[in-house]
Amino acid sequence: MTSAATARVAAARPARQVIARFFDRWSLIVYTLLAVIYLLLPVAVIILFSFNDPAGKSNFVWQGFTIQYWLDPFGPLGLSDAVTLSLVIAFLSTAIATALGTLIALALERYSFRGKGFMNSLIFLPMATPEIIMGASLLTMFVAIGTPPFFPLNFLTILIAHVMFNISYVVVTVRARLAGFPRHLEEAAGDLYANEWQTFWRVTFPLILPGIVAAALLAFSLSIDDFVVTNFTAGGTQTFPMFIYAKSRIGIPVQVNVIGTCIFLIAVGGVAITTLAGRRKQR
Amino acid sequence: MSTNDNLTGTPISRRRLLQGSALMGAAAFLAACGTKGTANTPSPSAAATVAASTGGSTAPSEAAVASASVAPTATPVPTPAPSDAPGAINWANWTYYIDVDPKDQKKHPTLDAFTKSTGLQVKYQEVIDDNETFFGTIQPQLQGGQDTGWDIITMTDWMAARLIRLGWVQSFNAANMPNFTANLLDTYKGVGWDPDGSHHAPWQSGMTGIGFDPAKTGNVTSLAAYFTPDPRWKGKTELLSEMRDTIGLTMLYLGLDPTQPTRDGCDKAVAALQKAKADGIIRGIKGNSYAEDLKAGDAVLVMAWSGDMVQVLVDKPGIKFNIATEGGILWTDNSMIPNGAKHKNGAEKLIDWYYIPENAALVEDYVNYICPVKGADVALKKIDPSVASNPLIFPPASTTARLHIFGALSEADETYFNQQFAKVLGVG
Amino acid sequence: MGTFLKRHHWVTPLALLTPGILWLLVFYLWPALQMFIASFWHGTLETGFVFSLDNWTNYPDAVGQFAPFYLRSVVYAAAATMTTFLIAYPLAYTIAFKGGRFKNLMLFLVVAPFFTSFLLRTISWKIILGDVGPIIGPLKGIGVLPQDFHILATPMAVIAGITYNFLPFMTLPVYVALEKVDVRLVEAAKDLYAGPWRPGGLIAGGILGGALMGVLGLVFGVDWAVFAVIGAAFGGFVGWFLVSESFIRVTFPLSLSGVFAGGLLTFIPAIGDYINAELLGNPSTNMIGNVIQNKFLTQNDYPTASALSFAMMAGVLVVVAIYAKVLGTEELSAAAARA
Repeated sequence: MTSAATARVAAARPARQVIARFFDRWSLIVYTLLAVIYLLLPVAVIILFSFNDPAGKSNFVWQGFTIQYWLDPFGPLGLSDAVTLSLVIAFLSTAIATALGTLIALALERYSFRGKGFMNSLIFLPMATPEIIMGASLLTMFVAIGTPPFFPLNFLTILIAHVMFNISYVVVTVRARLAGFPRHLEEAAGDLYANEWQTFWRVTFPLILPGIVAAALLAFSLSIDDFVVTNFTAGGTQTFPMFIYAKSRIGIPVQVNVIGTCIFLIAVGGVAITTLAGRRKQR
Repeated sequence: MSTNDNLTGTPISRRRLLQGSALMGAAAFLAACGTKGTANTPSPSAAATVAASTGGSTAPSEAAVASASVAPTATPVPTPAPSDAPGAINWANWTYYIDVDPKDQKKHPTLDAFTKSTGLQVKYQEVIDDNETFFGTIQPQLQGGQDTGWDIITMTDWMAARLIRLGWVQSFNAANMPNFTANLLDTYKGVGWDPDGSHHAPWQSGMTGIGFDPAKTGNVTSLAAYFTPDPRWKGKTELLSEMRDTIGLTMLYLGLDPTQPTRDGCDKAVAALQKAKADGIIRGIKGNSYAEDLKAGDAVLVMAWSGDMVQVLVDKPGIKFNIATEGGILWTDNSMIPNGAKHKNGAEKLIDWYYIPENAALVEDYVNYICPVKGADVALKKIDPSVASNPLIFPPASTTARLHIFGALSEADETYFNQQFAKVLGVG
Repeated sequence: MGTFLKRHHWVTPLALLTPGILWLLVFYLWPALQMFIASFWHGTLETGFVFSLDNWTNYPDAVGQFAPFYLRSVVYAAAATMTTFLIAYPLAYTIAFKGGRFKNLMLFLVVAPFFTSFLLRTISWKIILGDVGPIIGPLKGIGVLPQDFHILATPMAVIAGITYNFLPFMTLPVYVALEKVDVRLVEAAKDLYAGPWRPGGLIAGGILGGALMGVLGLVFGVDWAVFAVIGAAFGGFVGWFLVSESFIRVTFPLSLSGVFAGGLLTFIPAIGDYINAELLGNPSTNMIGNVIQNKFLTQNDYPTASALSFAMMAGVLVVVAIYAKVLGTEELSAAAARA
């Protein structure tokens, strides 16, 4: 309904309805503004406290502005190791999960075979399992097969776990893209005597690429922020979320807020760029 | 970030360095004849059984080290000892438990000095936040007779006792540790779980007592406060998640002896604690994070560790710490070398390094717990008289007389105590 | 090659599936089975664990002892799911119908906070809601709140934390469902049915919400009045703004699939959560996740912990299976894809 039409209708109706219209229009907008403030408040606090200048080890009370921690983001012992480990695991698990998940999505969407129902369930289940169960069951398995031959808890076990919980999300995201995919393009390519391989790389892949990128972004953000599953599978190694958790008991260094802010900005930037790029392509 | 920024950076004197290097050079040479930590491989067990191999996998060639009787003035060996695997000595410790360079928080002056004097690299990591949790991370490796990746781990008495009982830590080679032999305070010697003291080296001790914000609570000197629903601290009182501290203090409040813990005493303590919870006095039961809540004002009365309290004062002056009239708990965290450690010799030298009083004093100046090293107080007086006179760090005899060490528990009793305490924690 | 693939049409899908499915079999299904086996263990970490079917008693023992924790988890998760619904629905509705050209921006703002660390966000709430923090402190100072008032270390803090942290799991599926609603249908309904009776919606919603949350609060035995007030406020709010006949008869039923999907996607992680209870709660607000975490990582009591986990997993699976049977998994997957 155009605003002109609204105005006309409003003029023709009694005051009670004008007020009702007014509420209709503004209530949801005001509500949404409040909701966005509610959603962003903790983020604002994280960013604000990255500029705090605490006297001691505690970064709980605002004590003054400084950029000193932004200039030395990896000051505290172990922080750079933890961030590096988190990044490496996030990149590797994203790469592996995206590859494996995309292949599964292609198979499920393009071929019919027996056992498809089971596969669908197997992919759906990890998303419907509480994280603590996944972490705990992996730990039980590692411990059970641990002695002997030994299976130490370390980088590798974290990576295994992250790939595991990421695959399902990738499959689902890429499948969503494949489902709305113009099949006739592939058929046309086939008619033009392109083999399956060529058809895939020249036609299918470019078309599902946005889906794959979205899946990778999702997997990356899930991996880099995971605490629960990692806590069960990490052994003595420490990722960034584990670093935060450990330090939360005794005083979180301001630099953690700096890194947290950076991750936020990078993630937001990444999503913004992909969205904008996608929109440009659509035009 | 440090408590005494102006003083922690005190450079180690040149003379000290030279002395250190001569000493460490000798030690490095000794190490050359030392051991190679090889992991044993236990026999396979039935598929459905997860067997625990409690068999020791102590380094096989202790004798080789002992036989290497070399004069302490031996020529320094510039490279790390060939008997240790290449790479840095891996040390797992608790957070904020070593001196820090005020200009660069990643640097630890005493560790750098160690590297400078011995040529041995150290990878120091603050990965321990809880005894049981850390135990969980190394337990599978130790059970499987594998390298944990750590050369030094720092664990509280009772956990140290468990590790020694299980045969999962190695005995020290005394030849690598002349300072440890000479400078460990007598009070730390002859503990029941390691009578000859050859498996553990005390790192820091601490007292568990009453921490409070006098502006809100007034002066608190009795443990009865935790069990009295006074509006001043009701709902703002926090206890410690370390079973021995909370149960121990509660036993003292009830007039029971924590040095001789019994199941009956445990039951009584748990009942008292449950009542305090039901009365709405207790807000939380936490590890180190009680200090954060105290600083934020979310808690005004806590069970506290002495060293934390020194640190809390930096953020919130006015906070006070008392050892209750009924008494307090004394505990010690100990350095140990787990089985399979790849750098046993280096680890021994590193442990020994901190038994040089001047080095211990530098650590103490930052850490603010109680130091087990003879002469550290004298050394500290030279670099930081205010810390050396702090009763929390060098408690007077009147205080130490009121301190108790929580008694040893059998494995079965320990399980029982933990199960009962889980109820207090709200997870049992 | 082409003819080979055509003749053996199963080769390609098999090759595509094998690595990923194998990963899930080995690292999802096997651990789940292993945990089931571990729940029949007996012993300690130090002496070793022995498997025996006689240890089925682990289940009645563990589940019996920890029944209150399961109950608390279900109640907290249900309460949090309800609050996420109350917050998320109007939000999703606004984005879907009033968003216009700001639709993507608004959607982005809703998801953006969740690009920061889950732990840091939760700790932020600790700062914001502190007893003498930036919100409660001043209110106490001017005497609006009593001195001993606090939100942290209460069930409400835990539920609020879960609500905040799992909000997008509700917002996105509801939005997806609402977006699919044909606007012409809604317009037609508006022509057909009389206009909204807002006071009625306000009163009905208020009473309904207040009663619901009040009862929920009574179940905890704490804060029930606060719960009731919050419930009444939200109920009244929803009633006033959203209860119109066309909404009730057309829009809402069409969005139900999204509401159910969001409910499940919020409820499942909420019921297993232990971080919010640990950081924001007190010893009496621990959920079953805290117990499992403590048994596994602190007490190393794997048999009991496995039995507790498996019992929880079985419960969740039953809920999911019923859901999948009745509503299918398409909506859930679509929602997950959106996220």
